[in-house]
Amino acid sequence: MSKDTPTLAASTRERTGSRYARRLRAAGQLPAVLYGHGMDPISIAINETEIIRHLTEGAHVFELDIEGRKETCLVKDLQFGWLGDNVVHIDMTKVDLDEIVTVNVKLVFKGTPKGASLVGAVLNQDLSELEVSCKVRDIPEEVIVQMDEMEESFNVGELELPTEIKAVAPPETVVCHIVFKAEEEEEESGAEDGAEGAEPTAEGGGDGKPDGSEG
Amino acid sequence: MRGRLRGNATRGNYVAYGEFGLQALEPKWLTARQIEAGRIAAQHFLRRQGKIYIRVFPDKPVSKKPLETRMGKGKAEVDYWAARVKPGTMLFEIAGVNEDMAKQAFSRIAMKMPVKCRFVGRRLSV
Repeated sequence: MSKDTPTLAASTRERTGSRYARRLRAAGQLPAVLYGHGMDPISIAINETEIIRHLTEGAHVFELDIEGRKETCLVKDLQFGWLGDNVVHIDMTKVDLDEIVTVNVKLVFKGTPKGASLVGAVLNQDLSELEVSCKVRDIPEEVIVQMDEMEESFNVGELELPTEIKAVAPPETVVCHIVFKAEEEEEESGAEDGAEGAEPTAEGGGDGKPDGSEG
Repeated sequence: MRGRLRGNATRGNYVAYGEFGLQALEPKWLTARQIEAGRIAAQHFLRRQGKIYIRVFPDKPVSKKPLETRMGKGKAEVDYWAARVKPGTMLFEIAGVNEDMAKQAFSRIAMKMPVKCRFVGRRLSV
């Protein structure tokens, strides 16, 4: 955690169930559940705007103030609404700052590789986040991929990670690579011509139908 | 389209491969021709930039009886192939271009689509 752990106020939910959760969301709160370390799960509600802002910035660990009781929590899972992008529920797990956990960290791509400036070259980002294993207090908000020295591809093994953070993926996993579009276009041009050629035929068939029905 | 496509997409409803996506907001059978028209429209606009991912595949054969044919005599030949699209389905994704370019490319694709669409980015993850 490069920044201080954000502290959020939370309240316990006495009434659970979809009806009450919907009312909470309408009031600007987000239903959540806190569990872990052998404790009984607690249903809580957190301010939606605040937690979404912190999650967008890359925060994973929060200090929750649940009606005076302070707990260090790690965001374990998010549930999304019907269009797949609005958060409707959060799973949080109680953690110790020295516990080793596995989390997904956002990858930030910086610099322009030399090969990407060539004609027809496209930079393909194969990974958008990296699974890392580290202590809770060491979880980074983002991992920077410095692509200036990159030639054709950039692997997980080439990432400059601090010593206390380990990548879960094998070192040969590709993070990003350069593809030359000219090769791809040659393959696709045949299919494209076929599709364009098929359209007039279909129109011709369409013209034929009314004639047939009239006759 | 025969019958109704009930419910929303619970799979394939988020940006998985690219950075931006075009999401359907209505249910419909999307024909192979419509998908191909969208792909060509975006590719002509992007021209050697970025990568387009097509997230739907027309795996449903749709048959149609010829005109002026009496009923019966078995099922008709396949007329076209379609993909079943529910609200929330991610239709296309784009990687390797900036947001403005992606929006312009998706607006061209959306014109070719028989459903209302919206532009989306990657969702939060932990």
